[in-house]
Amino acid sequence: MNNIFAVAGVVIKELYRRKDFYVLFIVTILICLVMASVNIFNDAKIVRYLKEICLLLVWISSLVIAITTTSRQIPAERENRTLLPLLAKPLTRSQLVLGKFLGCWLACGLTLLCFYVFFGALSASREHHWPLLNYFQAAVLHWFMLGVVVAMTLLGSLVFAASSSNSTICFVVVGSILFVARHLDQVALTLREPLRTVIYSIYFAIPHLELFDVRDLVIHSWPLISWLYFSLALLYALGYVAVFLTAACLVFRRKAVN
Amino acid sequence: MNSPRTFFLLLLALLVSCFGLAAHLQPQFQAWRGSRASGDIFNVVLGDSRRMFANNFFVKADAYYHSGYYPTMFDDTEAFKTTHMAADTGAVKDKNHGDEHGFLGPTRNWIDAFGRNFFPDRHTHLDEGGADDNLGGTENVREILPWLKLSADLDPDNPQTYIVTAFWLRMRMNNVAEADGILHEGLRNCPDSYDILFELGRLYNESYHDLDRARNVWEQGVRLWLKIYPTLDPEMQKDHRFIMEQLTTHLGKLEEDAGNLPHAIDWFEAAQKVSATPAHIQEQINRLKGKLGLEFNPLLKPLY
Amino acid sequence: MTPILQTQKLRVEYRSRELRQGTKIALHGLDLEVCAGEVFGFLGPNGAGKTTTMNVLLGFVPPTSGSASLFGIDVRQPISRQRIGYLPELTYYYKFLTAEELLRFYGKIFGLTRAEMDKRIPELLKLVELEHAANRPIKSYSKGMQQRAGLAQALINNPDLLVLDEPTSGLDPLGRMKVREIIQRLKNDGKTVFFSSHELGEVESVCDRVAIVHQGELKAVGSVSEVTGRHTSLEKAFLEIIGFQSSPTL
Repeated sequence: MNNIFAVAGVVIKELYRRKDFYVLFIVTILICLVMASVNIFNDAKIVRYLKEICLLLVWISSLVIAITTTSRQIPAERENRTLLPLLAKPLTRSQLVLGKFLGCWLACGLTLLCFYVFFGALSASREHHWPLLNYFQAAVLHWFMLGVVVAMTLLGSLVFAASSSNSTICFVVVGSILFVARHLDQVALTLREPLRTVIYSIYFAIPHLELFDVRDLVIHSWPLISWLYFSLALLYALGYVAVFLTAACLVFRRKAVN
Repeated sequence: MNSPRTFFLLLLALLVSCFGLAAHLQPQFQAWRGSRASGDIFNVVLGDSRRMFANNFFVKADAYYHSGYYPTMFDDTEAFKTTHMAADTGAVKDKNHGDEHGFLGPTRNWIDAFGRNFFPDRHTHLDEGGADDNLGGTENVREILPWLKLSADLDPDNPQTYIVTAFWLRMRMNNVAEADGILHEGLRNCPDSYDILFELGRLYNESYHDLDRARNVWEQGVRLWLKIYPTLDPEMQKDHRFIMEQLTTHLGKLEEDAGNLPHAIDWFEAAQKVSATPAHIQEQINRLKGKLGLEFNPLLKPLY
Repeated sequence: MTPILQTQKLRVEYRSRELRQGTKIALHGLDLEVCAGEVFGFLGPNGAGKTTTMNVLLGFVPPTSGSASLFGIDVRQPISRQRIGYLPELTYYYKFLTAEELLRFYGKIFGLTRAEMDKRIPELLKLVELEHAANRPIKSYSKGMQQRAGLAQALINNPDLLVLDEPTSGLDPLGRMKVREIIQRLKNDGKTVFFSSHELGEVESVCDRVAIVHQGELKAVGSVSEVTGRHTSLEKAFLEIIGFQSSPTL
């Protein structure tokens, strides 16, 4: 376990010593402040559109950070040959994969924390109340969703040689899942065999990331999600994380790294 | 030749040339009809394609009106053919039918059933309390305004946006001045819109109680309708009868309130010609005729 | 003496990515033994199979057949690397880390305690003369400094066997001298050093035994004097063993 935490620690250090996070955070703040200063029919109490824009930026930024950070981890280690002295230590390849995952996931968690604190401050400045449990549910579901994305990207980084192609593929896949995954079964109904079966299989096989997008519940002040379903969603995410990480370990196990 | 002075003079000469060239080109650029320079930021960035986004934001406003409980293109959208926030203004013909509450249909599989725990799950309107059932806070409807404003900015030629915005500003936000402003902005962008004139007349009548201005505006609306209606294709004409019915019935009511009953009867008779429910209008006419003391033969009632 | 590094009939084949090129044999039944306490020079021209041998020993590349072990443990077991230190040919480390952070990171992987690291890291930084730059990010280091930081990381666990892949490659004469001094000091401390190099003079001066590998096969092995044999220098012996003939026009 120590080895996994050691690798994770370096990943987190890398994230906060690079400028990506700061740039995205500052851009988010600036856009939100500009949007907050827009005069809409002289009504200063309008808040939901600000929450919407802020959360949209948080989602985009977090996905950018998760995918770009994860996709460059192992390819950069190979390219810079830092992988060689690392694997020459008593560190198994599975530990390396798990350490990279944990580092990227925790880094995403820290990033999300900053973004959600800003989001909370922004909405509280207009709404004057803190629905902390709503924010907690939204942030935790978001974080677990990023866990799936990070694990998937890590697997991609071992399959595809270039990190840029892996990033692009992951963005397309994640975007497609978020936009259409929920409706794939309805799309399948309109198709003929064998395409129908193919689409149905995809529908049941893919991780349904859209379940974790509970922005509407936060923006429109809906009641909390049932804690039972909340916990089941986290388990669902962990299941997919385990699947992707196991596949990543299997791919990496016999791969020559010279 | 290589002295700093020579370079300085060269630089100065280049700058003067650039300024001169810019001064010469600027008027020509401004005069060019395709220039985006005079437009707003959306025009500069998106050009005419901005209209594509305008409708999305208009629908987004309606999704806000329902606190996010809203069908996608994959769901049953029969009950959402006309945005509810627009239909509720009374100025737009409502084409909705079907179940507003169950557009998702029965659950299809376990993923669908599980997923429904994470989406808004109840039909609600912001002016009726919204998701948190805060019936005292009907001003929540203000939350649709940013998207309507964005929609109006992106497609200034769509009268419905101005009407809906003005209605909610006036009726729920009590912000009559802003409603007046947005309707006048709409009229500047769509001078031939009798829909906007109708809403403007309602504002004068109901909020300012200025019957004369309301009458003028509505009559102008009727004149425009009579001018434009014959030019429309038959399918469009069906939709446009609704607004004429609204204009004429409101004029009829206004004249009735002012005591001009014959005029009122005239307007209701005009309304009857375009109405989908002429029998209902006939009841109004009969009532007014009764008030005037004109003879009304009940035997003829089935004819109407 | 018991060998601490051993290969038996080690064979490595690479499947070429180019179509119609079949497989390339990188090592052809290599038998090698390195005993505790000796400095062993592993020589050969470019493409001879030196780096491939090291890659197998460090578990980067699986052998096609044969076996390799460190301290009697199969190299496929990560635990076999617990007592070794490795310095790759081209050292690139996490540029956003300082030398001290880098050493702490590797120390954690070896399971060193905080107290052990607090004692060991300053010693190593002093050994490689990087105390003054310990808290500067590695990206600000010169190439020689990076190579010395690499040497320090290879020594973090106080290894019994040090594997160095061309440790003086690309260094200026002063840098080479410093690396040679460190190897000599390790030898005096009783450490085993297994290193590859093109610098035959350097090998001659520090090695107890050498092996010459060519086209994936072991051509000669023994003490420096045994391999040099009748020749006046190791370089001349090396050139003859690999079959080099100088051009008559030169």
